[in-house]
Amino acid sequence: MKNRLRVLRAERDWSQADLAQRLEVSRQSVNAIETGKFDPSLPLAFKLARLFETTIEAIFSDEN
Amino acid sequence: MECKTSNPAAKRFMRRNLITMLLYVLSLVLAIGVFLRYHPTGVLAYLLAVLPAIPLTGLLAIFGLYLAEEKDEFQRSIGVQSMLWGIGGTLAVTNIWGFLESFVHLRHLNPSLDAVIFWIFVGISIPFLLRRYR
Repeated sequence: MKNRLRVLRAERDWSQADLAQRLEVSRQSVNAIETGKFDPSLPLAFKLARLFETTIEAIFSDEN
Repeated sequence: MECKTSNPAAKRFMRRNLITMLLYVLSLVLAIGVFLRYHPTGVLAYLLAVLPAIPLTGLLAIFGLYLAEEKDEFQRSIGVQSMLWGIGGTLAVTNIWGFLESFVHLRHLNPSLDAVIFWIFVGISIPFLLRRYR
């Protein structure tokens, strides 16, 4: 699944570790999600959307 | 599942794991010592023989507890995958060994080593699984 996490992070000047801390997950988790190798659960996707003040669809897309 | 971590669930797992391994070593030493010195029989012999298996079985419960307590879903997924590697690896090794025992009379593999084989596969698989997601 494609996502815009890297861009959204860069806009806020957050490192992966910063985002991980805000999400209360490991940095490895953020990296795995960001690189599209791990799809987050719906609750975590909602948490991301709330954190970036946007919608899940604005972060993730199911295009290959 | 990280080795060096500030993750509370992983820390608890490490602490419980360490205590259980210590109990395993102590119970094994106790069982060997008593059997060599006193040659127990009957119920006591059975109880002593089973004693070292209890902490090893407990390790599975501790790992299950870790999976239940881990809030980071990615780390939980790594834990589950490593257990699958543990199960698969143990089945593969014991299956191959079993046929070797039957056909070429290889030395008998004590089933109590299954747990050791399982945890070796779990331990080895974790860095490889984490590398896959890097």
